[in-house]
Amino acid sequence: MTISSYAERPSRKLDETDTVSVPRPSRKRATISARFVSALTILSVLGVWALSALLQLVSPVFLPSPAAVWSKFMAVASDGFVDATLLQHIAASLWRVFAALVAAVLVGVPVGLAIGISTVGRGIFDPLLEFLRPIPPLAYLPLVIIWFGIGEPSKILVIAIAMLAPVALSTASGVRGVSQERINAARSLGATRGQVVRYVILPSALPSILTGQRIALGVGWSTLVAAELVAATRGLGFMIQSAAQFLVTDVVVMGILVIAAIAFVLEFAIRRIERALVPWAGRE
Amino acid sequence: MPRLVLDQVSVCYDGQARPAVERASIDVASGDFVVLVGRSGCGKTSLLNVAAGLVKPAGGSVTVDGTPIIAPDADRAVVFQNDALFPWLTARENVAFALRLRGVRPSERERRADALLALVKLEGSGERRIWELSGGMRQRVGLARALAAEPQFLLLDEPLGALDALTRERMQTTLLDIWKASRVAVLMVTHGIEEALVLGTRIVVLAPGPGRVVRTFETGFSRRYLAGEPLRDIKADPAFAAARGELTDAIFEGEAA
Repeated sequence: MTISSYAERPSRKLDETDTVSVPRPSRKRATISARFVSALTILSVLGVWALSALLQLVSPVFLPSPAAVWSKFMAVASDGFVDATLLQHIAASLWRVFAALVAAVLVGVPVGLAIGISTVGRGIFDPLLEFLRPIPPLAYLPLVIIWFGIGEPSKILVIAIAMLAPVALSTASGVRGVSQERINAARSLGATRGQVVRYVILPSALPSILTGQRIALGVGWSTLVAAELVAATRGLGFMIQSAAQFLVTDVVVMGILVIAAIAFVLEFAIRRIERALVPWAGRE
Repeated sequence: MPRLVLDQVSVCYDGQARPAVERASIDVASGDFVVLVGRSGCGKTSLLNVAAGLVKPAGGSVTVDGTPIIAPDADRAVVFQNDALFPWLTARENVAFALRLRGVRPSERERRADALLALVKLEGSGERRIWELSGGMRQRVGLARALAAEPQFLLLDEPLGALDALTRERMQTTLLDIWKASRVAVLMVTHGIEEALVLGTRIVVLAPGPGRVVRTFETGFSRRYLAGEPLRDIKADPAFAAARGELTDAIFEGEAA
């Protein structure tokens, strides 16, 4: 949303100057919005997909038609797939992602604060996070299972570990970005160290903290499939994997699209939350 | 009578060979409006930060009534050039910040914040967000926020520097009115020669390389304003023009032409 509106504004401005100074014949091209192009792109991809399925260029096992995916969507939504309806799969996955987010925020925000505020904190947590950050979830999944078993906590933990670094590092960068003048102002008004953290640093860093959670949600969805690899009986990732084992490709494609749609909706929602919670961001 | 004394203060910053300030002495007592002027790099702001307790001096002593200053305190509230307001709070909540730190009850906080907003001529703007306010209004909120701490010393770091000429002139009279009403001792840093003359009871001229005090003027123009003489008349007085010439000479003395 924001990206397209950013792209629109300058193009309109360009247009105005064009009419005032140098009216060019190619005016119409300047008014094409990024959103329009995006819609066109999506429609073309759908068109190519439908056409190749219609002409049977590829076997339906590899690429089922859009119509087949849609009817599968309706079927799974009402009758379910591997003992659970689509809604139950979605609920299971959403629960895991959000439980992991809560855990990652509870740990990651204080860790980020420590990194941003104190040298000792940075010395302790920076190397740990840098160690953790590049490891793919599939690599530590076995270890988590060995340590914590195959229950629900392990799945949430795998996602939470992946979310920890973005939450903590965004918080830390927000804390480091707090203006020294603001901190000095609070201190000269009699604020103690703790009060500076609570009343100045935390609210100043709030925009960054929220951005960290937005990134973490994205990471969480991409880790979900790995987390649901083991001993899950519900969840979108589980649904996709069991469908893949039986070459039910239409369910696989449908699952991918559902995950993408949910991620899109969440991204939109958290942007709205950001605007409501930190209306001052970018307006100072 | 509270008295803030900077005695033979030197300031050194990490990684800089030459000290920013060398052996500067400034004395601010209640009833004073001391203005620090000087060219860029003369250490005006460094000295103000030392007085605030935000910067530790490398040498010399800083005391309030004989007690050494080791940290910032609400006793010496600072108003910064870029207001440094908190955008997540309303104007009223910004003003009430020092009271909140002390655990003053919300109703009492609100009452006192509104009184201070009225003092800086912002009555009725308490609910407004910081980003809705003009530069001049923001500086007035910053001033009210500092006054809410009920400081004995008000430290102003070029508070009017970012304002346009008309707003600045209006803010100067506001400052004088507040100074008169609260009898707070003021230590102010400015670039403006005329501003120094209009506001100060004492003007301390600093020179750069390293920063040091070169001259001190006692002036009485601000007292004349408070006695009821219009600011326009004071500025039109030949004595004002003469003082301006003398101060300008002192500031640029020794500068390579």
